[in-house]
Amino acid sequence: MPEIAFTIDPATGKLELHVKGVRGPACDDVAKLARELLGEPGRAHNTPEYYARSWVQPRVRPKGRR
Amino acid sequence: MSKYLVFDDVIFRNRALLLAALKDLGYPEVESGDHLPLYGYQGDRRPQTAELVIRRQHIGPASNDLGFRCTPDGYLPIVSEYDVRTLAGGHFLAKLRTAYSEHVVQEVTRRLHGTARRTVEGSLIKITVRY
Repeated sequence: MPEIAFTIDPATGKLELHVKGVRGPACDDVAKLARELLGEPGRAHNTPEYYARSWVQPRVRPKGRR
Repeated sequence: MSKYLVFDDVIFRNRALLLAALKDLGYPEVESGDHLPLYGYQGDRRPQTAELVIRRQHIGPASNDLGFRCTPDGYLPIVSEYDVRTLAGGHFLAKLRTAYSEHVVQEVTRRLHGTARRTVEGSLIKITVRY
C-alpha cells in the first residue's frame, strides 16, 4: 500500500514528505499535488523506487482450454 | 512606527488552506480584496498593500494590520517588525506555517481518499498517509 510520510517541524513550520511504495512515475502525481499546495520544493530527489519498473506477471492461457 | 517586513521565503500557495490556518491561530476575520491598504497601530496608512488583511483590531491594541500579498507563487506575509517580535511570543510565522502544513496533509489525505496516522516524535510531528 503506498504511503506518504510527512514530517512537520513546529519550530519552523517546515514540511518534508517522503513517498513510499510507489514505483515509477506514478510518484509524480503526488509530487504534482504537493507542488500545487506547497509550491516548488527547496530540494527534491527520486528514491530508487522511482526508477523501479512496475512488474506485472503475464497471464497466459493454456492452448485448447477455454 | 514599526516597519513592515515582507517575507519572500515564506509562501502560502493555497488561499483556502491559508485561511483555515489563520482561523486555527484565532484569526477568523480576514478581509480580502485587491490592493487593500495596511494601517499602523495609530491608524496611519502605510504604503504597503495586500490581498488578504487581518485588521489590527483583531490582533492587539499595539499591533499593526497584518497582510498577505498575492503573487503568482502564492501569498507572501507582510508583518510589522513589532508583530514579528510579539505575536505568538515571536513565533507567529512558524505557528502559521505549522498550521498550514497540517492543513496541507489533511487536503492530500482527502484528495487521495487516504487515511492518516499522526504521532509526535520528540519535537517533530509525523503523519503517515496511506492510500
